[in-house]
Amino acid sequence: MKENNILEIKDLHIDINMMEGKLTPVRGVSFDIRKGETLGLVGESGCGKSITCKAILGINDKKCVPHGQIMFDCEDTGETDLLSLNPKGKEIRNVRGKQISMIFQEPMVAFSPMYTIGNQINEATLLHITKDKKKAKEITLEVMRKVGIANVEKRYKQYPHEFSGGMLQRALIAMALVCNPKLLIADEPTTALDVTIQAQILELMQELQKEFNMAILFITHDLGVVARMCDRVAVMYLGRIVESGPAATIYADPEHPYTRGLIGSVHKIGGKKEDRLFSIPGTVPLAMNLSKACGFYDRCDARIEGLCDKAEPDLVEIAPGHCVACFNCPHEACRKQKEEAMARIKAEEEAAAAQPENEKGGKKRGKR
Amino acid sequence: MEKGNILEVKNIHKRFTSKGITVKAVTDVSFSVKEGETIGIVGESGCGKTTLGRCIVRAYDASEGEVFYRTEAGEEVDFLKVDRKKMKSIRKEIQMIFQDPYSSLDPRMTVLDIIKEPLKANFPKMSKSEMDAKAKEMAEKVGLNPSYLMRYPHAFSGGQRQRIGIARALVLNPKIIVCDEAVSALDVSIQAQVINLLRDLQKEFGLTYLFISHDLSVVEHISDKVGVMYLGKMVEYAETEELFGTPRHPYTEALMSAVPIADPTIKTERIPLKGEIPNPANPPSGCFFHTRCRYCTEQCVNAAPEYKEITPGHFVACHRAEELTLKGIIMEGNKITLAKNEIPGA
Repeated sequence: MKENNILEIKDLHIDINMMEGKLTPVRGVSFDIRKGETLGLVGESGCGKSITCKAILGINDKKCVPHGQIMFDCEDTGETDLLSLNPKGKEIRNVRGKQISMIFQEPMVAFSPMYTIGNQINEATLLHITKDKKKAKEITLEVMRKVGIANVEKRYKQYPHEFSGGMLQRALIAMALVCNPKLLIADEPTTALDVTIQAQILELMQELQKEFNMAILFITHDLGVVARMCDRVAVMYLGRIVESGPAATIYADPEHPYTRGLIGSVHKIGGKKEDRLFSIPGTVPLAMNLSKACGFYDRCDARIEGLCDKAEPDLVEIAPGHCVACFNCPHEACRKQKEEAMARIKAEEEAAAAQPENEKGGKKRGKR
Repeated sequence: MEKGNILEVKNIHKRFTSKGITVKAVTDVSFSVKEGETIGIVGESGCGKTTLGRCIVRAYDASEGEVFYRTEAGEEVDFLKVDRKKMKSIRKEIQMIFQDPYSSLDPRMTVLDIIKEPLKANFPKMSKSEMDAKAKEMAEKVGLNPSYLMRYPHAFSGGQRQRIGIARALVLNPKIIVCDEAVSALDVSIQAQVINLLRDLQKEFGLTYLFISHDLSVVEHISDKVGVMYLGKMVEYAETEELFGTPRHPYTEALMSAVPIADPTIKTERIPLKGEIPNPANPPSGCFFHTRCRYCTEQCVNAAPEYKEITPGHFVACHRAEELTLKGIIMEGNKITLAKNEIPGA
């Protein structure tokens, strides 16, 4: 692992075996998170961003089979591949909730309605910090105060239904921060909230990040939130990262057609009022039985016929820290990749043409 | 009714009572809509924007107030007072698109049946083949492949379902469509598709939209005029550019400063709103916003401000509207800035 990195994901694949066939929601995702930074993972629903993050903590459904490597800088054991740990074992439990914790999308669903808020936050304190109940309560109250919950003694004894959405999200953040984690995964933490409450929560997260010096993996589909929060951005589409780089670069000159489309389809407040918004045609395909083509081929406005439908580009670095996975990008590295892919396709086609006719036909029938 | 207006909402109130507690969901809202316009209604959850929309289509019976509507035949009626038979015939012209494309379509009906249903209800004598033809035509207009019409809603994605909902609303050739958070549940790229579709249809059929949403960027894009609601009251109503450029109500200012702008080079200064939206069953005294307002004075605590026209077409309910200089969003060249406004004469 590189110095300064707290988490490195290398070539992560996740398969789900279903009756209808194999679903591949994550197809070779690699990224790393540095200490104390905020990485935004952006993409539309179904692109595999949530499942990637759950894989880090090993809390995906049993049906999801991950391959690859998730290296994490553990406190006691040093660098550890989280995927190699038993998802029910002691080691991962020492990481989960303590060194890496997670905030979920809907605070109303994340809490159990049967227990008081204090009781639920205390659970983490008792599990990871101290077994002394009195001390644990003090720690819990302290962290609740820190996230801006007023009147903590009273709030401690209340149930989730007595909290508003914004307050519940604060309580959820308190629960995540009680063990002082090194990495916080925030899965759409403000999507269910109103704009004014959203702004409060985002500010709170930034303050706490400074105070605890933790890294945040921020998952969202809201590009406005990303612009406000993140140092670096990774754009995900159909289980792959298609572009990553510093936030300012990604917004100023996006290279991948999907990123361009995403940024273009957001109307900026106060921006010029064009008659039509830029829109990406079509919808995200289902991640099942995917062909060799680039995942974005059907919806892309910069596709190259005969190339993009026959090969999928890899993520290559075009400028320091800025990576793109697209054949039709003018930069040196992409051009090189494009030429290689073209040569490969040509060679394959020639090899196929050289094969005798009947054999080819037989093969096709066999496949069906 | 004024000339050119298709809809005039006057002093509408809606109260819900349960277990002896009365909640004023909508309090004294008035505005008028010109034919072919898009009116955006924004506000936080619980501010009464959905209730207002439902009162206008008479899905709820308003407690007080009037909704004047000019029918296709040119007749002026108070939609809330007409009898059921008349209401049914007028409702053909006022339709609604709902928020959740997953729960607003019956999973046991085919798409064709869903789009046909309004025709069946309103034109019982229409022949089946004519209904099919109309439904198919409308499906094509909203960008659905007619060969998919025999499928059930579960086979469609969120964006396509929303198109089905739009086709169902349009099949009766309405004049006004109330879009209640019509794009909120959709992904960004799909959202853009549906917004473009709504605009195209507006041009083609001369529709008037009442666009209810919590997303200020979307509302700014699509609306000609915008109304801001807070705790059941309309606090500001003006043309879109004027409202965003020179807001006159502190709540509008705070709301706009909270919207994240999709450009990391713009650092907006957020105007903090203290606390949370108060309980509508027990609203604060005086101006409802005074508990969270940074410009609050004694007058605001004691007396509710009047909702008045401060400049032509710009309505505000704030005691200090004329003296305050509030921040709006201004476009300079290609840069967007949150700028201080100089109010003429101030």
